[in-house]
Amino acid sequence: MPVDSAVQLVPALLDLPFREGYVRSIIVVSLYVSVLAVTLSTLVSVPVAVLLGFADFPGKRFVKSVINTGMGFPSVVVGLVVLFAVSNQGPLGSLNLIFTKEAMIMSQFVLATPPITAISLAAITGVDDGVRDAARVLGGTRLDVALVVLKEARYGIATAILAGFGRAISEVGSVLIVGGNITSADGISKTRTLTTAIQLEARQGQYQTAMVLGAVLVALVLTVNAVVVRFGDRGVQS
Amino acid sequence: MLRVANASRSYGDETVLRNLSIEVGSGEVVAVIGPSGVGKTTLLRLLALSLEPDEGTVALDGTDAWAVDAAERRALRRRVGMVFQEASLFDASVARNVEYGLRVRRSWRDRLHDEVAGLVRSNGVADAVHEALDVVGLTQKVVQQADSLSGGEAQRVSFARALAYEPDVLLLDEPTSDLDPRNTAVIEDAIGEARDRGIGVVAATHDMHQAERVADRVAVLLDDGITEIGPTERIFEDPSDERTRKFISGELVY
Repeated sequence: MPVDSAVQLVPALLDLPFREGYVRSIIVVSLYVSVLAVTLSTLVSVPVAVLLGFADFPGKRFVKSVINTGMGFPSVVVGLVVLFAVSNQGPLGSLNLIFTKEAMIMSQFVLATPPITAISLAAITGVDDGVRDAARVLGGTRLDVALVVLKEARYGIATAILAGFGRAISEVGSVLIVGGNITSADGISKTRTLTTAIQLEARQGQYQTAMVLGAVLVALVLTVNAVVVRFGDRGVQS
Repeated sequence: MLRVANASRSYGDETVLRNLSIEVGSGEVVAVIGPSGVGKTTLLRLLALSLEPDEGTVALDGTDAWAVDAAERRALRRRVGMVFQEASLFDASVARNVEYGLRVRRSWRDRLHDEVAGLVRSNGVADAVHEALDVVGLTQKVVQQADSLSGGEAQRVSFARALAYEPDVLLLDEPTSDLDPRNTAVIEDAIGEARDRGIGVVAATHDMHQAERVADRVAVLLDDGITEIGPTERIFEDPSDERTRKFISGELVY
């Protein structure tokens, strides 16, 4: 029975083969890096999507195809490029960012920006032209019209941010390369995320730990989805 | 008075309107009748100051809209309202839709203040919004979401949205072509109410009976020009132009 097996699992969960604070520190690092990267990415992506959705300029098609290509860009290559940039000989070498959370944020920013921009752009261009015309003839300035379109596209933009967050939090390759999967001597995570920890634990044969971390990761993603959907829900509209 | 004088407009090689003149004064309803695709919408966009004529002028109370800078043109444009064939309401409450025109005319500071005040005061809907909804008989729907309205109700809200900020001129592009008779009657009454308030109305329609019911003057737009313009009764009973006569009697088929 599900209830019985859940009860049997409780002692196993209480007797986990890792020290106190380990899992919590990994969750904190994962969230810190992903949330910050996605926030920065959103601040860049949404205005870019608005610009692409409203303005006509030479090279617009090219910019769009670069963004679409970026959606499928291999994350290990991004990690490698960021590693070169922050390494001692790289252009950002003097900042000493190698194997830090900041370097991980940089690579996740690069990975999350294309999907957030592309999906936001699709949502913005999908807004009915009639709504734009209405905002304009009712006396709206260009900024007013843009705000109306953003509001109409809000569910699509929320989806875009979720997609970006999904890509960031489940990322392994690039954060492993630029972050190094490091813990301090007391076993507390410095640059170890849920994904890199799962990879390490599984390789070391610590399947139970890996499974727990995997469950935590899935729960985190589901929670963030639920929160975003709740905020985007019609129940809280004006 | 909104006046288009000797205006022409082409799209590429195709001339849609040629040397066209029309005007609407305050408290007057002008119906523009003609078959589909003849340029009624282009004419309305000229009147709405959102499309520049290739030749000729569009002037509101004597100010040529295309001889002034963009800011001044926007100020002129804000005195003109427009209702489209599709309601195109915003995904928000009826109240938010109707107050939109009023809101964008306020300073950012005032708008921010309104938003914050709106969080503590509940549904303090401005009198203008209530009045505009009253004209179309939908005051009871003020707190509903726009997407919960029927098509006819949505179009009535769209009319109220254009009426709320009291434009000098109201342009209607086939406003009732998708509506049932009851909602059509409400819109036609609202056109009368707009006239009583001193608003000049230009209604493009292919429904000649509607033109006969609501208009003081009728302009007949065929192919690329106005064949005849004059008092409604005379146009329908004694048109002087042969093509107008044929169009009205149904002999001229498009």
